[in-house]
Parts: sequence; structure tokens; C-alpha cells
Amino acid sequence: MKTQDPRAKTPDATIDASCRLPLLVLFNGAALWLVLGLALSVIASLTFHKPEIFACCPMLSYGHAQAAANDLLVYGFCVPAALGVMLWIFARLSQTELVLSPLPFIAAHLWHLGVLVGLVAILTGNTSGFAWLEFPRASAMLLGVAFVLIAISAVATFGQREERELYPSHWFLLAALLWFPWIYSTANLLLVTNWPVRGVAQSIVHWWFTNNFIFVWLALVGLGVVFYLLPKLTGQPLRSKFYALFAFWTLMFFGTWAGIPAGAPVPAWLPTLSQFASMMLVIPILAVAIVLVKTLRGAKLFCGGSTYGYIRLGGLMFLPSAVLLVAAACPQYSRVLEFTWFGAAQVQLHILGFGTIVLLGAINEIVPLIMDKPLPFKKFVPWQFFLSVVGVALFVIPLLIAGVQQGHSNFEPNAGKFWLKLSMGGLVLLLLGSLLLLTNLFLMTLKWKIALVKTVAAAVVAPLENSEVKS
Amino acid sequence: MNDDMSDESKSCSLPSSTEPTATRSTVPMWIFVVTLLLLFLGFAFFDKKGGWFDVRVYAPYNSSEELEAAQPKSAAAVAMAAGKKNYETYCGSCHGNDGAGKIAQAPPLSGSEWVMTKGAERLAHIPLAGLGGPIKVEGKDWNMNMAAMGAGLSDTDLAAVLTYIRGSWGNKMGEVSPDDIKKVRAEVGKAPQPYTGEKLMTMPE
Ligand code: HEC
Repeated sequence: MKTQDPRAKTPDATIDASCRLPLLVLFNGAALWLVLGLALSVIASLTFHKPEIFACCPMLSYGHAQAAANDLLVYGFCVPAALGVMLWIFARLSQTELVLSPLPFIAAHLWHLGVLVGLVAILTGNTSGFAWLEFPRASAMLLGVAFVLIAISAVATFGQREERELYPSHWFLLAALLWFPWIYSTANLLLVTNWPVRGVAQSIVHWWFTNNFIFVWLALVGLGVVFYLLPKLTGQPLRSKFYALFAFWTLMFFGTWAGIPAGAPVPAWLPTLSQFASMMLVIPILAVAIVLVKTLRGAKLFCGGSTYGYIRLGGLMFLPSAVLLVAAACPQYSRVLEFTWFGAAQVQLHILGFGTIVLLGAINEIVPLIMDKPLPFKKFVPWQFFLSVVGVALFVIPLLIAGVQQGHSNFEPNAGKFWLKLSMGGLVLLLLGSLLLLTNLFLMTLKWKIALVKTVAAAVVAPLENSEVKS
Repeated sequence: MNDDMSDESKSCSLPSSTEPTATRSTVPMWIFVVTLLLLFLGFAFFDKKGGWFDVRVYAPYNSSEELEAAQPKSAAAVAMAAGKKNYETYCGSCHGNDGAGKIAQAPPLSGSEWVMTKGAERLAHIPLAGLGGPIKVEGKDWNMNMAAMGAGLSDTDLAAVLTYIRGSWGNKMGEVSPDDIKKVRAEVGKAPQPYTGEKLMTMPE
């Protein structure tokens, strides 16, 4: 048995077991959506270069596949995976079992149902037409309700904590729990109802939402998880609490304003303020860099493919991603890079390089704990790590180069074609990696279910020996 | 089960079951200084380019003052600006954007006695009906043809064009009103015949 924190009343194994059901549903669904999302990305990429390739099925045309892929990666994978990880972190930090655990279990199903409805709607062409908000109203409603239910359980668990002083991850993750319902409901109310805002306000709301969701929300989640797992995995304290809080406040304060492109055809104060805010993001970037470097310096471990490797690399990826965001907002660069593939590359780096890698590391770390069993194929964890790292590099770097070429060539249609083709290879590697995760999770769940059925069956078949059946 | 798992991971990470802690070293002064410096630069940038929340200011204008300076000052200035645009589209190709005329294409308008008339009646006939045959412009003989190049313009637009040619390149004659154009247009009719210089001279200026 592991040694226990003397203050802790509840053993870790009990806490982990209390998370099992909701987390299994959240993670299994997330893994499935990740595979589907990446597969659709590959399809979109293929149709981009060879539009006639899926001429048979209009469902797979570029517009459908690309939108579906984007939404599956974020709503399908990132959000439910993040929610699962958050529930576990809150339970562990509070040293109590998950409070109201049936709530997230039901909500997890609602969430995945919402994603399924959204996916069908996109593929059949019933979308809102706003990137990242393509899901129709019914599906947005399901997502909103599911998120709030899960957040209630997370916050209730948080309220039960023994140690009253907050740990930095608390700040980041609680903010993420509040942020999403706020921005998601606002954006849907203002854009996807029967009475949307009109004219240029639509674009402004849309830019605001995209930046707050993709950049700020994912940063809150990713950094919250990294600041929790990094010290835990290295046995080092986080250095330091106040740096982390400084990063938190400056990220929240300046991050929300960023995101309106410098060349946007809106009154000049909006993009100017946005550029100002983006420039100020240098401060949280510095603070996060200091926390990561100082915390990692104490850790003398090196293992590329372990969950520690995921968390370390994923956390560090925040830095280039945020730096690219700031660079793209600089007037000198935005003139060339705006509305090219460069922006897409930054978004993909943030989602796939930072958010997804951190969450994958956390899932690979947490699942064996909540199931109290090692993963069926432990080797898959380092394999997926290398596939993801090479995949992200091969996907994002060519996109960046293509963006620069496109910007310099004055939008000549064939600019950067070679690099765009190369980037497809990265997607394929990422897809392979995600299949490994799916295999591990599904096999694990299957084994667990079979064991469960066997136990129940044994109990039913031999009611008299009931007391001797070991589960 | 549990044990072999922790053995496995021992090499790469510590199987720590205690919750993470954080040190309490405070944020150094320099990062606040950098923050303040950046805030200062940011405000300066916003002051320069942001137009202080004026919803009428769009790029490439940077402020309300700049926008104001780019606006035409009076109704006459508006007509001159509109007239210049239409003149350069419909007339400049022959008479030159500088109004100096072009050899063997069209006589000059700057300083021309046909343009510098007291009223606009005679002048308005030229673009509305056309002009053909021998004329004298600033002492030189011309004998060519000009079609009714201005007949397709609206009263307001043609009035602005004539105001423009009467007020540019050193010409200093009064404005032409849309009503003047309307009157002459009615007079020349739907399918006007080009006038000769001789005939034009018989009508009031
Ligand atoms: C296709 C070439 C052409 C265009 C376009 C043209 N003109 Fe003319 N314009 C002429 C020619 C040629 C004459 C001389 C006719 C003659 O010799 O009888 C002339 C003569 C004139 C005259 C009298 C002579 C002078 O120089 O003062 C005026 C006034 C005039 N044009 C105004 C205009 C205006 C206003 C427009 C635009 C709406 C215009 N023209 C467009 C070719 C052109």
C-alpha cells in the first residue's frame, strides 16, 4: 500500500474509485471523438487538395468535414477530457470522495449526446455558420446543461476540502468552470438564436468567443492541470504559488480582450485595444515560463514517453503557442500574417500541442488509478507520446511556413501548397496516436465490465456461496 | 496490481500520493516594472491608433481629428470633390485631368471662354447636346466633334462636373446648380443634335 498523507481521512484509492464511473464515460467518449475528429481532419485535408475525392458523399465535403473536425477536437475531446481531469483533481485536492457523483455520470452522457447531435447536424448541413459554434441549438443546450451539472459536482467537491487554503490549480480550474458557461451561453444567445445581433457586432462577438474559448479557456485548463500534476509527478513543490497567481490574474485580465484581428473592418478602437491586450500577454507568458522552468529544474527525471513527459512537454508548449498569438497581433507582422494559415497554425498548436497533450498525459495518469489496474497496453503510452509530438510538429510547422508564404505572396492561390500537403502527414500520425488511446481505454472498460458481469453472475448463480465470492 | 504499477512508473516519475504543494517565494519587482512599462507603451499605442472609442474612426485613420481633417469643409467642397471624380472619369481622357486639353483630341478647358461664362446655360449645352464644327478656344481654331459626353450623368453629377471645371486650374467662375442642368436638358430634348459654335454664341451665357 502507498503511504498516506497523515491528515487525509479518505484513502486515495477510495477517492479515485469514487471518480470511476463519471470519468470512464467522459474519457471513453472523449477518446472516441478524438479519433473521429482527427479522421475528419485528414478527410478535410484530402478534400482540400483533391476536391473531387469524396464527390460521392456531400457529407464529407471540405466545409462539412473541417467544421466537424474542429468541433469534435474541442467539444468532443478537450472539454469532456478536461472536465474528467478536473473532477479528479478537485476530489484529490479536497481529499474527499467525489460529491454528488451520479450528477457528472448522467451529465457525461448528456454531453456526449449533445456532441453526437451536433456532429450529425454539421454533416447534414444544419449549422449556424459560425466557426466553433456550428452545433445547433438543441445540441448547444445539452452541452450547456451537462457542463453546469458537472461543474456543480466539482464545486461541491471543492467545498468539502480539508485544507482551506487554495492551491494555484484551484484558481485556474474554478475559473475555467465559470468561464465556459458564461462565454458559451453568451455567444449562443447573441449569435445562434432567432434574434441574433446584427451586422459587424456578429463578428465582434464571434472573435471574442473564439479567443476566450480556444485561447483563454484552454489555457486555464491546461495550466491548472500542469500546475497540479507537475509537482505531483516530480515530487517537487510548485515554484511558486505567487508566480502562478500572478500568471492567472494577468492571463485573465489581458487574455479576454485579445483576439480581434488588427485588420478587422470595425471601428479602430476595437482592434487597437485587442492588440494592446495581446501585447500585455507577454507578462503571463513570462510568469508561466518562470514557474515551469523553476519547477522543472528541481526534477531530475527524464523519460520522454511517461505521463510526466506529456505534462512537461504540454506545459512548455503553452509558451510557443502564446508567443505566436502575441506575434501575430504585432502591427508589423499582422500586416503580412493576418487571415493566412499562420493563425490556423497557432490555434492548432494551442489545441493539439498544448491542450491535448496535457490532457492525454493526465488521462493516461488518472485512468490506471481510478480503475486500480494498469493500462492493458502500457507501451502505447510512450508510443502515443512520440506520435503526438512528431505529429504536432509535422502538422503545425509546415502550416506556419505556409502562412508566411501566403502572406508574402499576396494570397496567390497556390502559395504554400507543398507545406500544406506535408502538414497532412502530421494529422495522420496524430490519428494513429489517438487510436492507441482509444484501444487502451476501450479494452480496459471492456475487461472491467466483463469482470463486473462475472461477479454479478457468480453472485446470482451461487447465492449460497455469496460470501466467498471475491470481487 | 497496484504495486507493479508503481514499480513501473518509479523510473520516470515519483508515485507521489501526497497532494502537491507550492513554495511561497514572491513575485520579483522587475516583473512589475516590466508590466508597468508595457502598460505605458500600450496606452501610448492606443492613444496613437485607437481613436479613443470614436465609432466613426476606422483604419487607416487613427483619430477623430484625422478623420475630421479628411472631410470636405462645405457643400461646395463636396461638389468639387464629386465633380473631380466624375470629370476624371468622363471628360479627363480627352481634355486631360489637368484641363489643359490634348493636341488633336480636345481643346483646353482651363482659361477657355466657353467655360468661363457668367451663367451656365451656354456651357451646359455642350456636354448635354454635343458640339461640332469650327470654334475658337483661347484664340486657336478647332474643328472637331464632341458627342453629348455628359448626357448620361444626373443633374447633380453634371452640375458638379461643371462646377469643378469652372473652379479649377485657375478658372474662377461660380457654381452650377442642378436646376440649371435640368432646364437645359429639357430644352435640348431626348435626342439632341450637336450644336455648332456659331449657334451657341447666339444664346445667353
Ligand atoms: C471624346 C473626347 C471628349 C470627351 C470625353 C469630352 N470632350 Fe469636350 N470636347 C471635345 C472636342 C473634340 C471638343 C471641340 C469640339 C469642336 O471642335 O467643335 C470639345 C469641346 C468642349 C468644350 C468647349 C471647348 C473648350 O475647350 O472649352 C467644352 C466646355 C467641353 N468640351 C466640355 C466637356 C465636358 C464637361 C466633358 C465631360 C462631360 C467633355 N467635354 C468630354 C472632346 C471631348
